[in-house]
Amino acid sequence: MTMDATSSVCNLAILESLDENLIGEILESWNGFCFTTESLLKGNGDLSFGSEFESHAQTLCKHGLESLVQEHFLRSLENTFEKNGASKFWRHFDPYSNVAVLDIDKDPIDEVEVQHVLCKALEELSLEKEYQEKYLLMLVHALQSFKDKESEGRQSSEAERVRLFSKYQLIMASVLMATLPRHFPDVLHWYFKGKLEELSSIMSRVCEDDNESQDKDDMDLDERSKLPCRTGDMDIDGCHHQRRFLENHKLVKNIGMVVRDLRSLGFTSMAEDAYASAIFMLLKAKVHDLAGDDFRSSVLESIKGWIQAVPLQFLYALLAYLGDSVNYDSPLSGLRSPLASYPSSCYPGMGVPSEGLVRWQLRLEYFAYETLQDLRIAKLFEIVVDYPDSSPAIEDLKQCLEYTGQHSKLVDSFISALRYRLLTAGASTYDILHQYISTIKALRTIDPAGIFLEAVGEPIREYLKGRKDTIKCIVTMLTDGTSGDPNGAGSTGDSLLEELNREEENQENTDDDDINTDDKQAWINAQRWEPDPAEADPLKGSRHRRKVDILGMIVGIIGSKDQLVNEYRVMLAEKLLNKSDYDIDSEIRTLELLKIHFGESSMQRCEIMLNDLIDSKRTNTNIKATINQPSQSGAELRDQGVSLDILNATIISSNFWPPIQDEALNIPGPMEQLLSDYGKRFTEIKTPRKLLWKKSLGTVKLELQFEDRALQFTVTPIHASIIMQFQDQPSWTSKNLAAAIGIPVDVLNRRIIFWISKGILADSLGVDTNDHTYTMVDAMVDAGKTGVNSGSCEELLVGDEDGERSVASVEDQLRKEMTVYEKFITGMLTNFGSTALDRIHNTLKMFCVADPPYDKSLQQLQSFLSGLVAEEKLELRDGMYILKKS
Amino acid sequence: MIYYLFDIPFSLLGNQFSLNLLSCQLLLDQLTEWHAVASWTWDAQDETCGICRMAFDGCCPDCKLPGDDCPLIWGACNHAFHLHCILKWVNSQTPQAHCPMCRREWQFKG
Repeated sequence: MTMDATSSVCNLAILESLDENLIGEILESWNGFCFTTESLLKGNGDLSFGSEFESHAQTLCKHGLESLVQEHFLRSLENTFEKNGASKFWRHFDPYSNVAVLDIDKDPIDEVEVQHVLCKALEELSLEKEYQEKYLLMLVHALQSFKDKESEGRQSSEAERVRLFSKYQLIMASVLMATLPRHFPDVLHWYFKGKLEELSSIMSRVCEDDNESQDKDDMDLDERSKLPCRTGDMDIDGCHHQRRFLENHKLVKNIGMVVRDLRSLGFTSMAEDAYASAIFMLLKAKVHDLAGDDFRSSVLESIKGWIQAVPLQFLYALLAYLGDSVNYDSPLSGLRSPLASYPSSCYPGMGVPSEGLVRWQLRLEYFAYETLQDLRIAKLFEIVVDYPDSSPAIEDLKQCLEYTGQHSKLVDSFISALRYRLLTAGASTYDILHQYISTIKALRTIDPAGIFLEAVGEPIREYLKGRKDTIKCIVTMLTDGTSGDPNGAGSTGDSLLEELNREEENQENTDDDDINTDDKQAWINAQRWEPDPAEADPLKGSRHRRKVDILGMIVGIIGSKDQLVNEYRVMLAEKLLNKSDYDIDSEIRTLELLKIHFGESSMQRCEIMLNDLIDSKRTNTNIKATINQPSQSGAELRDQGVSLDILNATIISSNFWPPIQDEALNIPGPMEQLLSDYGKRFTEIKTPRKLLWKKSLGTVKLELQFEDRALQFTVTPIHASIIMQFQDQPSWTSKNLAAAIGIPVDVLNRRIIFWISKGILADSLGVDTNDHTYTMVDAMVDAGKTGVNSGSCEELLVGDEDGERSVASVEDQLRKEMTVYEKFITGMLTNFGSTALDRIHNTLKMFCVADPPYDKSLQQLQSFLSGLVAEEKLELRDGMYILKKS
Repeated sequence: MIYYLFDIPFSLLGNQFSLNLLSCQLLLDQLTEWHAVASWTWDAQDETCGICRMAFDGCCPDCKLPGDDCPLIWGACNHAFHLHCILKWVNSQTPQAHCPMCRREWQFKG
């Protein structure tokens, strides 16, 4: 009766006019109304009180208490719903409350059971709701009939009904929300997950069933994506999808029912969240499943196809079932999101897509792109490692990035992967360079402007600058790919040489372009202009200067092409001097390519070197052909099996070759004789020129014959001279041998190791501990002992071993050149005291302009100074060089 | 027998060699090819050309390849120059050219 009190308060003005009878009547009908309401609601569909209820309600309305009636009735409905509907509904899900809290990922619940429970609970609740709505309708009728009597007008009746029902809806939803247990969204999520998995498995089964038609289907899809979607196409492939529809129609209908029930209970957004998250989870799992760790195939298309086949079909069916899809299609074109730049309007068997579906598709595709992109970025390092094979993955990534625009993510993640996995002391310089080249190639695909490459390449370049053998590795990779990689991975090794070739083609193409360039072309170029991406570093200049050029970037590591050319020259010299034939075709080709890239003038000296080889060949044949009258000792020589036929010579223009390390050597007498004959003939032909033999250089092929076998060797002249001394005398002490050959004992001891390791000579300590005795070894013993291949032929080039180089390395040259400046530096430090590196560099540049001018880089100076520090001539303290006091 | 077994390692220790080891020795070194390396030089008294100050073993400023393509020439006074250098000099001097070094009348050494 509290209601009564409040109502009297509200209607104070009316109270004045009320008399006893009326009050009595009101009270009576109020009590009656309350009673009938209660019994109605408890009666579970028992409508026996209906007429009584109606009359009470009308009486109350007559007295102007219409709002009170409505309010009371709704309040009662709410109470009943809370007591009967909601609490019963939630009780169904109590068993899952603990599980939900425990963990969501591991799914210990029986999904079928969840589905069952959910359906049952929803059914019950809907039933309850239906009843209540029926009562509400009754009230509405009562009020309606009252109003009809009063005013004879029906103007607001419909509005009234809608208002009441929406109010009821709101009350019910708020009751449910207020009592919502925390695990309910999870339950919903499981439900949809289970259903979707079921659906997708049905789909895949269908796909397997009609594999052959699937192919046709895919073609249809492709065609369809090109054509604007016309309804006329529908019946062509409608039949395929019809079958599928039938199969999963029931399933979708089931889900649709659940969604509808949930909606009517006010869980619209929650249901949507639940099935959205389920779809996304499924999609993510699918992407991971499809993409995996296989980079050799493109997966983007199949993912898109799957989105079309499963989630979109599902959503289409669901939206159609719920009845919101058809209403929207008229203003579709105007409403389509601008993101749908190419409307993939291939909705097989669906007709014109609704706006909601388009949105869903965009959402799903974006999500798929993002997932795939994250997946690929995380594995980008591996992808780049097997780059040429993994280009489909790169293509995928490129497309994903075009959609998502998260290039910076790629840069960050890739740089950290590089730092962690590549730029470590354990990685060989070759590997780093290969990875760098692959990175350049891969990123060039993703981003032709090279902006992200700039960012990614920076740490690699910085790191490589700090490595000593970088230049050497680059030059090796440039000149010959196969031997460049010590691990023998030839296929990637020759990439730089290939790059040189490609460069050449490009050069020709650009030449053509230059000719054709006119105003029209310029206009076309201008029209094609695109702004740099936002991530571009404005300091690095515009994209036109940033043409991605692998060789340029590689040379950029070194700093200047001069250093590279210098290193190449040394390597070329080494190679040419060790050639026993005059075959230099591959070198010529490489040189021509390098000339194109680095300019003719810088390769001038290398060209002279190659020219020397060509000249040598000609001269050599000439000399041998014209030396017809054998010298006086000719017969004698022939007796020893030595004739001019075996002698070939490489004649070099020493001014243009890198400094050559020549050691004094006494070669066997007959050979000596041959060389001087050869030299004389040369002087005759090319007078007034003469030859200066560099006896320690070159290669000698010789054959050692034992009783039972013959061994062939290709060795340096020193080795040959050593072994030939044993022809006359089977045992030598090292001192005597060194004197006979004319080389220092320590050099001899070092060189003779070759023969010992081959098992030809044996080393034993003589009487004097410093004196070794070398002896020819019995062939049989040696075969058993060292396991040398007892076959008759063994080819070996020893020149490269043990760092015995015939050409001074670049470092040695540098050291030699820098010694000139040592006096300057010492003087400078005496005058100035402590001096920084920069200042030394600048001072040298300023004052050493005369012969030889100071042209070294800061790094070269630094390495020279650190050499002086190591020799304890200088001291380095806080970045300042100080003269060491002796 | 035991002696035989010890024979080889003993000999490898090397204080003395058993005759048995030396019995099989190198019969012949057969040289099959000797590829030697030499550098050529002009047989001149001087190192550099008096006109262009470049090394004789190099080439004159107009040439790219040394040697046959850029030969030396001697005058009657026994001074040597790059052929191209002295020709330029001789042609610029009319009517009578002199050796740039000793100012004697220039004549090619025949």
